[in-house]
Amino acid sequence: MEPFFNPPLHKQRHQFVIDFIEKNKPKKVVDLGCCECTLLKKLKFHREIEHLVGVDIDEAIVKRKMHSLAPVSTDYLQPGYEQLCVELYQGSVTERDARLRGFDLALSIELIEHLPVPDVERFSEVLFGYMAPVRAIISTPNSDFNPLLPGLRGFRHPDHKFEWTRQEFQSWAEKVCAEFGYEVDITGVGQVPDGRWEQFGFCSQIAVFHRLKSGCNVFDQSQEETSYTLLYSVNYPTLRDNNVLRRVLVSEVLFWAESMKRRWTEAKDTEERGEGLVTKHSAACGEGSPTEDQRRSASDSGEEFDVWCTNRIRFQSGATTRSVQSVPVPLSLLWVSCPRVSSLCGSLSNLRHYLMDEPLVRLSPDGYALLLEQEGGSYIYIQFDLDDSGYAEVGLNQTLNSAALENWEED
Amino acid sequence: MTGRARARSRGRARGQETPAPGAVPREPAPVEVPHAEGKVGRGRQKTTPGPFTEEALLQISAGFQQVKLGERGGHRRDFNDAGINTRQAMEHVKDSKSGTSGRAIQLSANFFRILSRPQWVLYQYHVDFKPPMESRRLRSALLFQHEEILGSARSFDGALLFLPNRLHSKETVLHSETRNGEKVQITVTLTNELPPVSPVCIQFYNIIFRRILRVLDMQQIGRNYYNPHDPLEIAKHRLTIWPGYTTTILPYESAIMLCTDVSHRVLRSETVLDFMYNLKQQCPAQRFPDICAKELVGLVVLTKYNNKTYRVDDIAWDHTPNNTFKRGDTEISFRNYFKTQYGLDITDGNQAMLVSHVKKKMGPSGGPPPGPAMLVPELCYLTGLTDKMRSDFSIMKDLSVHTRLSPEDREKRLNRFIMNIQKNSEAQSELDKWGLSFDKQLLQMTGRVLPVERLSQGQRSYEYEPWSADWAKEMRGIPIINAPPLANWLLLYTRRNGNEAQGLTQSLNKVCGPLGIRIQRAVMVEYDDHQESLLKALQHNVGPDTTMVVVILSSNRQDKYDSVKKYLCVDCPTPSQCVVGRTLSKPQGLMSVATKIALQMACKMGGELWSVEIPLKQLMIVGIDCYHDSTAGKRSIGALVASLNQSMSRWFSRCVLQHKGQEIMDGLKTCLGSAMKSYLKFNKCLPSRIIVFRDGVGDGQLHSVVNYEVAQIMEAIKSMGQDYAPKLSVVVVKKRINSRFFAHINGKVSNPPPGTIVDSAVTRPEWYDFYIVSQAVRQGSVSPTHYNVVYDTSGLKPDHMQRLTYKLCHMYYNWQGIIRVPAPCQYAHKLAFLVGQSIHREPNVKLDDLLFYL
Repeated sequence: MEPFFNPPLHKQRHQFVIDFIEKNKPKKVVDLGCCECTLLKKLKFHREIEHLVGVDIDEAIVKRKMHSLAPVSTDYLQPGYEQLCVELYQGSVTERDARLRGFDLALSIELIEHLPVPDVERFSEVLFGYMAPVRAIISTPNSDFNPLLPGLRGFRHPDHKFEWTRQEFQSWAEKVCAEFGYEVDITGVGQVPDGRWEQFGFCSQIAVFHRLKSGCNVFDQSQEETSYTLLYSVNYPTLRDNNVLRRVLVSEVLFWAESMKRRWTEAKDTEERGEGLVTKHSAACGEGSPTEDQRRSASDSGEEFDVWCTNRIRFQSGATTRSVQSVPVPLSLLWVSCPRVSSLCGSLSNLRHYLMDEPLVRLSPDGYALLLEQEGGSYIYIQFDLDDSGYAEVGLNQTLNSAALENWEED
Repeated sequence: MTGRARARSRGRARGQETPAPGAVPREPAPVEVPHAEGKVGRGRQKTTPGPFTEEALLQISAGFQQVKLGERGGHRRDFNDAGINTRQAMEHVKDSKSGTSGRAIQLSANFFRILSRPQWVLYQYHVDFKPPMESRRLRSALLFQHEEILGSARSFDGALLFLPNRLHSKETVLHSETRNGEKVQITVTLTNELPPVSPVCIQFYNIIFRRILRVLDMQQIGRNYYNPHDPLEIAKHRLTIWPGYTTTILPYESAIMLCTDVSHRVLRSETVLDFMYNLKQQCPAQRFPDICAKELVGLVVLTKYNNKTYRVDDIAWDHTPNNTFKRGDTEISFRNYFKTQYGLDITDGNQAMLVSHVKKKMGPSGGPPPGPAMLVPELCYLTGLTDKMRSDFSIMKDLSVHTRLSPEDREKRLNRFIMNIQKNSEAQSELDKWGLSFDKQLLQMTGRVLPVERLSQGQRSYEYEPWSADWAKEMRGIPIINAPPLANWLLLYTRRNGNEAQGLTQSLNKVCGPLGIRIQRAVMVEYDDHQESLLKALQHNVGPDTTMVVVILSSNRQDKYDSVKKYLCVDCPTPSQCVVGRTLSKPQGLMSVATKIALQMACKMGGELWSVEIPLKQLMIVGIDCYHDSTAGKRSIGALVASLNQSMSRWFSRCVLQHKGQEIMDGLKTCLGSAMKSYLKFNKCLPSRIIVFRDGVGDGQLHSVVNYEVAQIMEAIKSMGQDYAPKLSVVVVKKRINSRFFAHINGKVSNPPPGTIVDSAVTRPEWYDFYIVSQAVRQGSVSPTHYNVVYDTSGLKPDHMQRLTYKLCHMYYNWQGIIRVPAPCQYAHKLAFLVGQSIHREPNVKLDDLLFYL
């Protein structure tokens, strides 16, 4: 209907909201009349928001796309400290629900014109009187602008119950302000290009309300009114969730510890063989290993390994008297050399504490080093003495410098 | 060829596709349009809702074959190859396609029956609005005002309405009112009753099932659904594994069933940019772009801002996030776009961009298709494994601990999956609404186990132990059928591998006698450990009489291997054998390594190892496979291998290289012609029977084999002479399938034994198809191979077709045991792979009748 706006008007409205959010950084945002969650889908990327709620009267419409508000797969892969909880409710904006009180920002984009006129009053009362958000953005068509829309007769949409002039909108807004203690700025999106703004105003008029009483956002939860039905709720993975933090930390610690161990083993290996380059990573390649080649052709699927590998392992573990060799990696070393580990757990003792009761991690009895199993066993000849006080010292001495670290690896 | 290389090919082959026949390769549109806004989330850009196109309506009246539910603005690929009815054309399998040999075995399969009320049908209605309503939403709203008549279970896409119940009369007129009082008359007319097996219903089931998976909080990645809440972490390698399931609902031979298998998705908790940084530190600067492209191209990435997967097709080194693209009428930089759209900050402004050629979708509102998507490495996460990881023994071992499931565990997991659906009330109510439910048990069925084959080597013959499917022990001390003498052969080695070279010659001398291979002293050539000096050594020493060149390589570096193969396969056609020094360094295993090398060399020189009895005369077996090289200009290599003698011990091999968009069969047609000429030369007659085993057909490509390749094969045959009309069968071989079978032996769940055939219940009614479990695995669950006979004028009984196929799985000379596919397929795979990985050119035709690529 509004083809001559570019970008389209609905996108401009959404952009207006996004810009507003970028500037004011509200933590709790509710979208009244969220419909197919289009705006919410955009807002979920703005991670300063911690609580995002959508309300619509039509359950079917909300349900149609609500799963697109779920975290995307990658949100699980590297969770950050931001947290986000998304909730969707079925309910009418003319009814009260205690769960919607105390928000930082309430949005009502192109909603009020769909309400029968008597309901607008109740809507104002519920929104400003009951929910009482710190800020609110209300947008609605500006009927002053309608003569410019080609071919338009009547309202812009068959379901509109009214379309206000700038004057009508302003007087409603001012009345609301007076009644509930808000102040308002009226602006809009969608301008006539040739500067006849004075005459027509914006195509969509937008009122931005700001609550005057800077009262606290805590409401009495005892007398809860809950008229809305919860349709959907999801919590985004976040490092503030202790389980997530622990999982990420353990992964990070094991990764770094293993890579230290590997570097160390390689250095050892190179030294022993007196060679410059040892590519330990890649498995035997070339026809040189016909057995392996054939083995794979037999069971040509990533999942089916077969005897040959396991035989080799068994064979090796038999040959080199492997009395469960383990490599200790001092926690302090991890702490110093992996910034992510340190930023995740804050302090060395926290790190130790986290790892202490983690089933995937084995710590030395004194708790100062992580023990990694040495597989293969063929490259390690030097046994570590766990009681070697050197490690204990390293563990205690937090001002360890990097030169000392290098020595450990080249030792 | 190398194990690593094979692994790579395996990774690459997945998801590759040959375009439909006749498809014109299209250059990417010149303008770069990134993932346009509409692609946020899984839903693709919605075109104007409008009613069905005229074309769609035509198709509806034409029997509903092509109607697609819930699809607007795009044509989804049919991964299940539905609607290809090849069986009806084959008279001899119309009634039964079951074999008879072997003993019966009780199996369960990873299929769950879909139960519905008896006489369940889906009613399809056409809905008409008067006056016409523009908005689809409004149409839905108006229609659904009549819930008391329509019921709560309904699916409406704006024009077509599907209900599980029949309305009272054929035509129902409803009256609705818009909110501003406009009166609308809605006419709901019954247009069809869809039986459960109709394509629309099947699609419908799948849609409902996907909805259920969403309800269970699973994440869709690619075609499958995964559970992000319970990840398995392999911290050592920074890998995260999400357990999940593949699911397909289709009408199978016995019923409509859900086929579901456990699937694991490997994800990485690092971005592509992290990966690039790491790589950059590890390799020399000038080689970085090459190495990086080699590692990344072909991998699938996930983005931070949507749930789509993209395949990396290229890296645009000259692009950075500061480049701009046209969005609407304005130019916007990628950096700003992501900032404003998704609040995502890009920290590295100098990173190169990834290019992904988004497949043949129409642009918004029917415009030209958008150009390639440009992706920012910093905003992309890698999924899957790189080639380097695949070849890393320790990674694969750690992975397999998590992903390899014993048959017992696998069965348990599948049962738990169905239980979870049944326990979830929301999922259950969705199913109930439509009157559907799932069987609580895996499908129980009967298969057959074929008897053990007897292998013969000259006068002597032996059988193998049925469960191991391996005869390395049995053939010890028995001379092979035919062994060309190892005379005038070279052994190249570096100074460092001097001992290994000595060791190898000594052990070869020991093992060759019992195998019946005459061996002379090798010409020993020492070379400096450089590629150039190795090549020089070859040029100096390899002459026209050289029968074999053995090269001991000091490391597993690909480049030396490649240059040896290039020289000896193209420039100076001579059989060659490369060995990595390290394999020979352990004295304990040396004898068995030497035995395998001796056998391999014998094959390469035209030797024959063993044979099985094949009771068909004048038969030529053809194997076809292809390899897609995603790095070198998207070339594909098609390889064709054809048998030359009765005992299937000699083979003709040829391959073609072609560019993207070309049909693989175009080139292979001439290869097939040459193969028949070779057969004629060998046998003094043309084959009276040709059986083609076609491997390398991806999901959704069956139609091109059926509609195009078969005709091409017949043309090639016709070109041999007007009245030459051999019997022809074309069998499509598929390894990547989701079907699994479990045997229940002594109360324990185990893999079915090698030789298990399944040709009922879970096969497809419209195909002449069967499954064979031919190989043995010691760990994990075995996966069966699917054979689909798409064309058959041989008149061969199904039983014989199955047994012949199984026999051919015994004939791969590089493995003393039964393999997953018929030998010619594996040979073709090897050849295509060697050419695609190392040679990059067509090998010299002088090598055609040797298995030089083993």
